[in-house]
Amino acid sequence: MKLTTFFTSVAAVTGILVGGMTTASAESTLEIVKKRDHLRCQIGKPSPGFYTIDAKGDWDGFYVANCQAIAAAIFGDKSKVKYQSVGSQVRFTALANGESDLLSQSATMTMSRDSQLGLDFLQTNFYDGQGFMVRKDSGITSALQLKGAKVCVKTGSTSELNLADFSRKHNLKISAVTFEDFNVRDETYVKGGCDALTNDKSSLAANSAAFPKPKDHLILPETLSKEPLGLVVRQGDSDWANLVRWSLNAMVNAEELGVNSQNVDEMRKSDNPSIRRLLGVEGNLHDGIGLDKDWAYNIIKQIGNYGENYERYLGNGDKALGITRAGTLNALWTNGGLLYSPPMR
Amino acid sequence: MAFVKKEITPARPAPLSERSVIGWMHKHLFSSFYNSILTIVTMYIIYITTKGLWVWGIADAVWIAESRRECFDISIDGACWAGVIAWMDNIFYGRYPKDELWRVNVGILLLIVWMLPLWLPRVKGKIFIAITLISFYPFLANYIFLGGESSFFSQFMVSAAIVSFVVIMLNAIIGVIQGQSISTFIATRLGSSLKSEKSQRNLNIALLIMAFIIAFLWQQSWVLGEVPWTKWGGLFLTLVISGIGIATALPSGIILALGRRSKLPVIKVLSTTFIEVFRSVPLITVLFMATTMFPLFLPEGFVLNKLAQVIIAVCLFNAAYMAETVRGGLQTIPKGQYEGAHTIGLGYWGTMGLIVMPQALKNMIPNIVGNFISILKGTTLVSIIGLFDILGMLSSVSRDLSWIGLHKEPLLFGAMIFFILCALMSKYSRHLEAKLSTNRKT
Repeated sequence: MKLTTFFTSVAAVTGILVGGMTTASAESTLEIVKKRDHLRCQIGKPSPGFYTIDAKGDWDGFYVANCQAIAAAIFGDKSKVKYQSVGSQVRFTALANGESDLLSQSATMTMSRDSQLGLDFLQTNFYDGQGFMVRKDSGITSALQLKGAKVCVKTGSTSELNLADFSRKHNLKISAVTFEDFNVRDETYVKGGCDALTNDKSSLAANSAAFPKPKDHLILPETLSKEPLGLVVRQGDSDWANLVRWSLNAMVNAEELGVNSQNVDEMRKSDNPSIRRLLGVEGNLHDGIGLDKDWAYNIIKQIGNYGENYERYLGNGDKALGITRAGTLNALWTNGGLLYSPPMR
Repeated sequence: MAFVKKEITPARPAPLSERSVIGWMHKHLFSSFYNSILTIVTMYIIYITTKGLWVWGIADAVWIAESRRECFDISIDGACWAGVIAWMDNIFYGRYPKDELWRVNVGILLLIVWMLPLWLPRVKGKIFIAITLISFYPFLANYIFLGGESSFFSQFMVSAAIVSFVVIMLNAIIGVIQGQSISTFIATRLGSSLKSEKSQRNLNIALLIMAFIIAFLWQQSWVLGEVPWTKWGGLFLTLVISGIGIATALPSGIILALGRRSKLPVIKVLSTTFIEVFRSVPLITVLFMATTMFPLFLPEGFVLNKLAQVIIAVCLFNAAYMAETVRGGLQTIPKGQYEGAHTIGLGYWGTMGLIVMPQALKNMIPNIVGNFISILKGTTLVSIIGLFDILGMLSSVSRDLSWIGLHKEPLLFGAMIFFILCALMSKYSRHLEAKLSTNRKT
């Protein structure tokens, strides 16, 4: 914890310093990126579904695809990215000090982070929340039944604090068993060392796939915390923030309009003015963010819309985590979720 | 009457208690009541632990599977070595492109072949081998591993490396067969026309220049695609970082140790400060400073190569440790040795280089090699700052969706690799000690 606090304050100081410098400097982030001819995108330490190295040695995952989307928008080529895998202690510092152009990690947006680190948290594109997992044969169906239970949790994480809050609020007297390594935590739970396991629900779903008998376990319906995850950029270059924000909006908007990587070429001939504007057939949306008019077309053609991306890595694809999207906050607003793109006109 | 026996009685075989298995066991394992109990208890403990390991690691283990789920389907309690096998390339080479792996192999093989003549007793000119190895091989290896476009300077050094490699190889072959160095070999072959030393030297230089031009033209035809350092990883990256750390630690440690014992106040204070600062800070802090804090002091948009920063940090850190080891060795040398050196007219560098250092370093071999081993193991810390060295790769296996949660097997495999490497190093140090101590007749 102490280390984390130290690095957070370092990030805050650098943010202020660098933030002041960027406003003064002549070159915008977009110009620097274009001149360098690749995007430097910061991702996290390997985590299933979000950023993984496969057996071929390539990066892949939901947040990796976000990096590729920005590269596709700028260069028309999703491979022009250099990934920087940074641990959670120094992630904000590594963005603030100019090492990375963009942070595409599962970083929860909070008021203090957004307002004190010299960073801008853009709109949320994955809503996570902490939950519990129990063995089915324990007969527990609600988190409120966990009175006096032993719960396995990762140390130094917000999950530990949320668990303590939850226990106090409902007077459950939960005793937390903390672990440094999530593999050891999961194994202890599987071997019966804890009554329940707590973590972000997406991770619970992902990790339970590794259990010897995943069907013997159940994720409880309660959600302990709000974990809005999105992309982060340095403060002080609003043009760059606009570019990243609207690239992600374009993916959501494409899903709303039914444009995907398969039909995007036909959709260019569509009569729907919203689609024509999105794909750059008419209008001049691209002028404001300083890109070619094919920018959104390239994103959708090369990476796909939000829904495709979700299914490929987190949903029910063959290499995905298997988190059903329908009925969660990550569904489109038209299906009762929270994903909503402002109009692109 | 002669009671003197004419022939020597043949030696009788040793008593049964000395040569049979039962005798050995009686002597070593069951010599007393308590020792027998101790033996039985220990045997039982060994049996329990190895049986568990055997059943989990070999008997119930799965060697061929597509994913961890499949491993579970085959054997729910056994080890899943299939995941380690699928990740083998990643563990050894990191994210290096799979079609280009031969470059890493060639680079490492070149290093081994280059160093081989150092251990052959009949080969002459070992100093030349060591000097070229340190000054030219890094450039050659850098080009082979990194590829891409290279500057004129680097092409120059690569050509020099090729020439010296060829010369060393020819020299080694001639050395093994004839027991001479390559220059004497050429001179004797060409007969009496080149008797004088000067013309012989001129000939050697001419040959070298010719070889250099050929090498330079040849290496210009090389086309190796660029593999950025961000793709380096696995055991390869660990060896690159620790190899450079090990190669620089000893020379810089010697210089710092001499500096600390120097009579010149400025040098002494500078060396002492450097050593104390780096020794009192943990390596992980040095690494964080080098990679995260250092860029803050640089002009904006100026980005250093993270790998280079890490290597520099590792080198500085280990130089400080090595300096103290060397200083310890210097303190074991009695004053008489210095005085003896002075009486035969040696100056400072002569005393140090010919008399003191050889003895001091010989005394310190176990400590120096201990330092090398800790450098090798210490470099795994770079996985914390986001380089995917062997530890980073081993722990990434459990994050791959196909092998999610598979963490014991890769770490065990990594432990075996480290054990082999470190055991080899310490074995070599013991060999070196034995070899050098025979010269000492005290």
